[in-house]
Amino acid sequence: MQVRKAVITAAAPRQNRLPLQQLVDSSGEDKTALQLIVDETAAAGIEEICLVIRPEDQQAYELAAGPHLAAIQFVHQPEPLGYADAIHRAADFVANDAFLHLVGDHLYVSSTGVPCAKQLVDVAKEYKCSVSAVQSTRESMLPYFGVVSGPRLPQSQQPKSQRLYEIEHVIEKPTPTLAEQELVTPGLRSGHYLGFFGMHVLTADVMSLISDLTRGDLASGDLASTSNGNKPCLSDAVAALPSRGRYLAHQIEGTRYNLGVKYGLLKAQLAIGLSGRDRDEILVGIMDLLSNRVEGQNVECTA
Amino acid sequence: MHRLIEIILSDDESIRNQSLEAVCEGLSLESLLLAAAELDQFRRQEKNLYFRVRALFFLAAIHRYHLPNRLTPDHQGLIPFDGYGHLLSRRFLEAIDVFLQTQATSGPSDGICSALAEAYHKLGFQTLADQVRASVRGVRGNQWMFRIGHPDDHPLRIRPELLDIDPETGASPLIRECTAVRMDFSHSAWSDIFFLGMDYPQGARVVNVSVDLGVRGRDPHPVPPIETFLRIIDVPVIRLTSVDLGVSAEVESITEMFDFARDYLGLLKAAVIAAGIVPPGLEGSDAKISDLLSRLVGPGRGIELVSKINDIPKGSRLAVSTNLLGSLISILMRATGQVQSLQGTLTEADRRIVAARAILGEWIGGSGGGWQDSGGVWPGIKLICGTQATEKDPEFGISRGRLMPVHHVLTDDELAKESTRERIQDSLVLVHGGMAQNVGPILEMVTEHYLLRSDKEWAARQEAMEIYDEVVAAIRTGDVRRIGELTTRNFEGPLRAIIPWSTNRFTDRLIEICRDQYGDQFWGFWMLGGMAGGGMGFIFDPKVKEEAADWLSEKMVEVKRSLDTALPFAMDPVVYDFSINDNGSFAVLLTGENAIMPDRYYALVMPELLRTPLRELPPGRRSEMAQVASRIEGNQGSDTAKMLVRGLLPSVESSQAKQETLPEILDQCGFDRQQHETIREDLLKGRIGLASNRLASSTTITDVRPQDVIDLRGKIDQKHVVLGSRAIADGQVAVITLAAGVGSRWTEGAGVCKALHPFNRFAGRHRSFLEVHLAKNRRIAQQHDCVIPHVFTTSYLTDGPIREYLACNDDFGMPQVHLSTGRSIGLRMIPTERDLRFLWEETTQQVLDAQQQKVRESVRAALIGWARNSGQASDYTNNLPRQCVHPVGHWYEVPNLLRNGLLHKVLTQQSDLKYLLLHNIDTLGATVDPGLLGHHIDGGAALSFEVITRRLEDRGGGLALVGGRPRLVEGLAMPTEDTEFNLTYYNSMTTWIDIDALLTSMGLTRSQLDDSAKVDQAVRQMANRMPTYVTLKDVKKRWGHAQEDVFPVSQFEKLWGDMTSLPEIDCQFFVTPMQRGQQLKTQSQLDPWKRDGTADYIDSLCQWD
Repeated sequence: MQVRKAVITAAAPRQNRLPLQQLVDSSGEDKTALQLIVDETAAAGIEEICLVIRPEDQQAYELAAGPHLAAIQFVHQPEPLGYADAIHRAADFVANDAFLHLVGDHLYVSSTGVPCAKQLVDVAKEYKCSVSAVQSTRESMLPYFGVVSGPRLPQSQQPKSQRLYEIEHVIEKPTPTLAEQELVTPGLRSGHYLGFFGMHVLTADVMSLISDLTRGDLASGDLASTSNGNKPCLSDAVAALPSRGRYLAHQIEGTRYNLGVKYGLLKAQLAIGLSGRDRDEILVGIMDLLSNRVEGQNVECTA
Repeated sequence: MHRLIEIILSDDESIRNQSLEAVCEGLSLESLLLAAAELDQFRRQEKNLYFRVRALFFLAAIHRYHLPNRLTPDHQGLIPFDGYGHLLSRRFLEAIDVFLQTQATSGPSDGICSALAEAYHKLGFQTLADQVRASVRGVRGNQWMFRIGHPDDHPLRIRPELLDIDPETGASPLIRECTAVRMDFSHSAWSDIFFLGMDYPQGARVVNVSVDLGVRGRDPHPVPPIETFLRIIDVPVIRLTSVDLGVSAEVESITEMFDFARDYLGLLKAAVIAAGIVPPGLEGSDAKISDLLSRLVGPGRGIELVSKINDIPKGSRLAVSTNLLGSLISILMRATGQVQSLQGTLTEADRRIVAARAILGEWIGGSGGGWQDSGGVWPGIKLICGTQATEKDPEFGISRGRLMPVHHVLTDDELAKESTRERIQDSLVLVHGGMAQNVGPILEMVTEHYLLRSDKEWAARQEAMEIYDEVVAAIRTGDVRRIGELTTRNFEGPLRAIIPWSTNRFTDRLIEICRDQYGDQFWGFWMLGGMAGGGMGFIFDPKVKEEAADWLSEKMVEVKRSLDTALPFAMDPVVYDFSINDNGSFAVLLTGENAIMPDRYYALVMPELLRTPLRELPPGRRSEMAQVASRIEGNQGSDTAKMLVRGLLPSVESSQAKQETLPEILDQCGFDRQQHETIREDLLKGRIGLASNRLASSTTITDVRPQDVIDLRGKIDQKHVVLGSRAIADGQVAVITLAAGVGSRWTEGAGVCKALHPFNRFAGRHRSFLEVHLAKNRRIAQQHDCVIPHVFTTSYLTDGPIREYLACNDDFGMPQVHLSTGRSIGLRMIPTERDLRFLWEETTQQVLDAQQQKVRESVRAALIGWARNSGQASDYTNNLPRQCVHPVGHWYEVPNLLRNGLLHKVLTQQSDLKYLLLHNIDTLGATVDPGLLGHHIDGGAALSFEVITRRLEDRGGGLALVGGRPRLVEGLAMPTEDTEFNLTYYNSMTTWIDIDALLTSMGLTRSQLDDSAKVDQAVRQMANRMPTYVTLKDVKKRWGHAQEDVFPVSQFEKLWGDMTSLPEIDCQFFVTPMQRGQQLKTQSQLDPWKRDGTADYIDSLCQWD
């Protein structure tokens, strides 16, 4: 299986401006978040990118894409009809090929030297099936993620360094009550689940599943009805994947940073900075900041 | 390995189900002690909880029932106080070690046996409770709530639909959940106790049905009796309202949410916690509810939760509170997405998690129920069965069965074509008999009996299981007549055999009259839940059902009236209309102008809202008031308006039967206001009080020597028997039974007349204490061919009921029955904080299981607040008048005989009368025993007191040497708590009185008894020499629909045993057998009392006709 295409979604309300933010990458160069995401895909061997955006944002995105603009094809989602719909807009672009999917408001920092997207694409190529990147997620974070569960692949079927799971269930933003009943994964600490990392390699099957979903064809047994919102999301569609073939979860060695949360951009910048050339400079800056902090400043401690 | 251990360990059911009795029978004292030692060793080492528990119950039973019979009077010993201290503090292992050590050094004794029995028994139940708690916490879907320690970690979010405020009305969407209650056809002999289901899953089977209810004649048609409401509000608090209990509160801190007894909202709080809104892991956190809510619902927003029960009183045996808890949990779980559907019915998976949370909620709230109780959450008729634990279950490897049973709802295809449900509705008359008893002790007895597997009870359990199968078959075929036969057979057979206390005189009487009235058309009686007396079913031929329902509703009230003073009724009986509910718990989402709370809610909260200036109300409240106003203007307005006005304006009491007022009663009974004021002043100044009851700590109190008592436990010599018999035959003796008290401990403050309580079946029917005492008198009188006058002393509280009871029964055919009417009465007072704290903080108290103890501490804090706010030592008047007055101690009851002229009258009728046998109403073994009377005559003492050796439960004083003189010292007067534990003998209160010697000690003669002035003066003089004790008693206050609150109140008393402290009165002390002197103080003693053979012994003393 070859993975040469990527679909990046950036059309969700309140998230559509995030990829346009300016940051400094690990080598000290100024880049937009979009450029960093595209860099991540390029490192995984992606050649064509489809960016799903709101029509009115296209000009800004063209500017933010910088040197990658030629590889990017823009697709519009005029109405906010949900995450699944956004991906489905790229159906023509995807055609019958497997594709890497990333969300536009996340940045990733690998802890191994192999970029996160490349780790995932390598697994998909090896096992020739859909693979979602996951990370161990504490139950207090369940309201923010899709969560999967299933048995870990036997050691004999995977290299020692990999942590792969055969996905059986996918539930979007489960309550801890449901998670404890349906989504406990052996090997994780108690109260921890496999939460989506915001990065997937999907076969073109997913497009037909999304069509079924938006037409209401998916049976409730496919767990499509478990997401609480009215608009279908990706989890609802991929929940039906295990019944159609192999679907794996790969516990990525790396960290993802959500730019859309409070101080998300700051944390992402620090993480990228600390992993690169300017690490010492940043650390000195932080120390300086801490030592010069005016005591008695009105800092409320909630803990 | 001992045979008992083989029984415990065996996989072979025929061995495992053998009874303890079968093994113990024929064992000598030594072999039994060896068996106990082996079992004790076994339970120390055994890892399996269920094996350990059974060993513990075997040990408890050996020490309670089997060892004492094998001990002789030589086996005597004291109970070590430090062991008792461990026991009270729930350090059972340490307590057992201390008691065993004493047994090893001083040999076995009745006292040590009683202490070990209690310690093993409590350790057994503690072990079980710990396991159930662990299992409840371990249920998947419950565990996460114990891990959340900070509001920032809260993983739940409110469903977005609930945040959509209607732009037109400003109303927040409102969820309304309606839930049924459950009615059980058969519970296979209480097999829904958690422990039973987990140990014996194949025997744990229940069939129950969800029903809607309406009060016959009041409600137009049956509706789901439970309604709960939830909405998001614009104030960051959790607002809890119980419409039925008339209380609403805004919870602002996490600590407050865990304070269950602060108000009447404990159940709602338990639901909020068990539903994970305020997860149990947050207990002890000082965080604000607003922080938690801002994560859960959004900043500045809160949650309002309202419960409403359609006036179903407590004790309905329909599991109203568990189903209310289920309903509240369901609505909260819907709102937070833990239950899939926001509206409509629940899925099976959802119902199971709601039920698991309800079990958790009951544990958190310190109450308990069976696993079938949340049956109202399910629809229709269902079979609920225990099931084997498999590898996937947290119980696997610990217990045979799972905590959570499996529910199977019977579909229409599984029921008869012509609907079973309609046939049941056409035949069953569902009633609430009016009794609201605590079923907890019964469930403990069932557990104990199950573990001991005594032959009779085990056979009964097997029969109950067969009946279950037959009931299910009859339900399937729709044969309601057969169901009636089976439920009656179940009730009169196995249920009564396992727990005789599951029925009572009231229920038996109702069944009798139904049989008399309707003969063959009365198809049967149906006991609901744990016991009869509250919710019950009567099955009639459909042809007469309607008529029978009307007839029964009148008759029940009539029978209740005849037993009103004997049994604790909480309300008048009612008949319900019912229909089978096919939805289970069902929710709808109301929006816009429909999103409005029920009228009764507004009747409750509107007065407070109207008092607040409009501008200070949050916008949500303002728009809500506008909505109420527009509803009043609309079609349904008049009902709403009436309800609101009723809430706003005071109502006029229109009670038809005018009750006597408290001042009238006090006036009538010669209440001594002056003495009362003196006591109040002394109490307030601290001159008297619980602490001051005690003798000075410098007083030397030691155990009596052998020469200070006369041991009459063995055979009494013929000389004394002849002497006594002759005196009886010559008419020299009369019996005085003290019956002025209301038995606060017996009924936990319900204020009924203990003497009239039909507590046990003798010779085919329930008999009261009074009847037992007369039957003993009849037997002795017949044996001696004479008449023994029998006097019952009464007080204001008991005189009328006893008089009426005796008149109705023609004095039970006895020739000389007299009532000595009390002449003294006290007015109860609000306790002082000092006394409450002394009782709860400075005396050793029984610590409860962790969660129950938390609840108790919260209750106590609330009661101290109550005492402070109501005015310490002020008169207690906020209750029924008869609950505000109290008898002033049994010392007064003998002088009363003199003051009211009764003694004079009896002596005039029977001039040969020389001796009196005085005893308490609850000392059932006290008889006019010729041998003991002979000893009394021969000894020549004024008073001969009977004492018994002390058991653990015998607290309240004893026989001691004080300053070298033997006397009885009341428990209240013991200088330190451990003093009592150094005394071998306990005062049974039974006293032989030499009339002339007593009169002499008072400065009177027989001839002066008609001189009331002289008698009054003599009594007053003696009264002044008697110490006055302050005590705290529990009193129940009833309100609402069979709700009860228990308050501690102060009262004072003078006690008869203090007569032994007067130097001029010559006293002697007889040691008598345990069974003669044993007293029944609490109803929890009844079961062991019957099982250890004492009931049969008492029966043998009686002549019933």
